[in-house]
Amino acid sequence: MKFLKRKRFGLFNKKEEKFFSKPTFTTNRLKVGIIVLIIMSFFLLNLPSFSQRIRNFFYIISEPIQGWLWQKGGGLFDFFDWLSKAKRVWQENENLKLENQELIQKSIEFEQLRRENDVLREALDLGLTGEFELIISDIIGREIAEDYLIIDKGSEDGVAFGFPVITQQKSLVGKVIQVYETTSKIQLLSSENSSFDVKIFEKEIYGLVRGKGSFNLSLEFIPREQELNVRDKVITTSLGGNFPKGLLVGEIKEVKKSDIASFQEAVLEPGFDSRKLDYLFLITNF
Amino acid sequence: MLKKFIFLILFFYFLILFQTSFLSRFFIFLPNLVLIVIILINFFEEQKSDFGIFAALVGGFFLDIFSEHFFGYYFLISFSFAFFIKFVIKNYIQFELNLKL
Repeated sequence: MKFLKRKRFGLFNKKEEKFFSKPTFTTNRLKVGIIVLIIMSFFLLNLPSFSQRIRNFFYIISEPIQGWLWQKGGGLFDFFDWLSKAKRVWQENENLKLENQELIQKSIEFEQLRRENDVLREALDLGLTGEFELIISDIIGREIAEDYLIIDKGSEDGVAFGFPVITQQKSLVGKVIQVYETTSKIQLLSSENSSFDVKIFEKEIYGLVRGKGSFNLSLEFIPREQELNVRDKVITTSLGGNFPKGLLVGEIKEVKKSDIASFQEAVLEPGFDSRKLDYLFLITNF
Repeated sequence: MLKKFIFLILFFYFLILFQTSFLSRFFIFLPNLVLIVIILINFFEEQKSDFGIFAALVGGFFLDIFSEHFFGYYFLISFSFAFFIKFVIKNYIQFELNLKL
């Protein structure tokens, strides 16, 4: 303190004046003082209770700002996250659509195979495969005249003119009238150009079935004295050689008998429903 | 000069809040922005200026406040960076002075 008082009142001797007049002393003293202050501050700040208080103070004053920034950051993050996800979701959606289409296609193929399998199983149960040599075919179209069908088997598959065509229930459908390389045309029983000999099942009554067009059949040339009943079943005979005997043609829906006519007539319901036909069997030998 | 220091204190305070609240929502690993600013100030300031040291002091303090380390951890790091940069610039880097005469 003495030398400070002397400095203040200008009472330094020459030696002291020279020493204190150096600028480096003041600067160095200031730097050392700051360093000491900082070190002491750190010791103080690291005291558990004090450090907790000072951090608590800053957290309290910063909380509103931090909360606001956190909220805004979250909103912006959600927006960018939505943008990135939207693109990914769109891409996933496109992929799923493609997968869905593939699955639908597979499902259709599976369903077709299942139905084909059912048809073949039914044909097998009825002993068709043992009785005849068969070619199975799909229907791929219908002629405008309605009484003609187109199937997916042709000469390359061994189909020939005149092959009888039946369902898996052994019902007669018609016969092949036109053969192409990969397809064939079937004339249905109901075609106006179709007529063949038949027999009433379990009765010795013979007649002729004639197509009337539009899926209509009539049973003709039955003598008046023969007794026909509704729901009597009509089957093929071997007469004429067009079809194997014993195939179901249909059943009688209505009997038309007149006192003046020598023959009676009946309306037949075909043994197949053309709308429900999917597969047909072609008999290659009989 | 005083305004400059006050601005620096407020800038570091809000920068660290921005980093800990806003940017942390976007990035899991976020670089220490305060430390980067301290390095940049020390690198680009004039050789004789002590503003970089002051920036290291303030920045280190705020980093210590908002960290789980002991007080002085970031302070020592930022101070070390500041002194190291100043030492390297003073002793090993020379800037050309282009004067149009």
